Amino acid sequence: MIDRILGMFTTVSQEPHGSVWIVFFIGVAFGVIVQYSRVDKFEKIAGFAMLRDTVVPKMLFLAIGIASIALYFMVEAGYASFHPKPVMLGGLIIGGIIFGAAMAIFGKCPGTGPISIAEGRIDVMVGAVGGIFGGLVFTVYFDSFKKIIGESLGKPTLVSLFQGHETLVVLIFGIGLIIISIMIPLREELDSEDLKQLES
Amino acid sequence: MPRRISWWVGGILMALLLLFTFSTLGAGRPFGASTYVPYFAGILFDLDPQKYPYLQEVHNAGAWEGVMLLGALVGGFFTSVFITKSFRFSIMPTGWKKYKNNSITSRLVWSFISGFLLIIGARMAGGCTSGHFLSGMGQTAISSMIFGGVVLITLVVTGKLFYSKEALDD
Repeated sequence: MIDRILGMFTTVSQEPHGSVWIVFFIGVAFGVIVQYSRVDKFEKIAGFAMLRDTVVPKMLFLAIGIASIALYFMVEAGYASFHPKPVMLGGLIIGGIIFGAAMAIFGKCPGTGPISIAEGRIDVMVGAVGGIFGGLVFTVYFDSFKKIIGESLGKPTLVSLFQGHETLVVLIFGIGLIIISIMIPLREELDSEDLKQLES
Repeated sequence: MPRRISWWVGGILMALLLLFTFSTLGAGRPFGASTYVPYFAGILFDLDPQKYPYLQEVHNAGAWEGVMLLGALVGGFFTSVFITKSFRFSIMPTGWKKYKNNSITSRLVWSFISGFLLIIGARMAGGCTSGHFLSGMGQTAISSMIFGGVVLITLVVTGKLFYSKEALDD
């Protein structure tokens, strides 16, 4: 097992997707941003499912809005490239339903879960064990899952569908999302246990 | 130093991180955070990639996210101890007690089940909040908009059905 864990670093160092340190640094920055804005909390994610907290959708839509416009111009200038995921209807719809229901109950997603384990959440640790078993079942029964996921219908993007008007479309999309992020009324479900620690 | 950042500071910083990850100066790839799970399952259960083709498929992305995740654990831990002061061991989320029930067993059983389903759903869809919402919609990908729409609806419907409407009295 140790050699496979070490192999993880070798794999990353041989790939052209940033040195091990850059990838590690991206993770550190992700951990800091998520922790600092508190969106790893049950009250933020399950709170959004109950519509008692809107920090998660406001932050997500703002980030996507800014990133979509900037990324488009970065790709145009040759500093980045697009890697959209394929449309596979079974996987996206059935997977999305399972994912959405699980996210509401768990109050975490795969990225925020580990960050809340890092702040001492034992229930999330138990959920992570469940997640590892989910990964195991998916890997072992991949052939059966593939049948539900379905065929790839290509990798269209909104921008690619409006050839000749790409810049306009990405500006409408991005600015639209930024406006939505501002318009969603700010509601917060705060964790009293969390706030108590600030007083001491 | 402020103990919290507001949603818009968080959103701007997240956009910058996403752009850095995409850029050729950073990683030249999208940001994702659910492929590492089957990758780790393969390591923990010592599955042979020759026998399980999915492990070959996630070999590179899983390793990338594995290293990224180590960074996220370090970043999350130090921020929770020194900045947000939120580090403490706990089993029961305050919100679960307030809107669901007071039973630790109930929380842990549901955590296990939902953690299991979360990964099944993410791997079926080919991404999660990071890979589909942030990276995918950031590229205006149609696949990610379908996923995003389905997840938002299911999330809110589940929230309505699963939790009580009013705060429970303790």
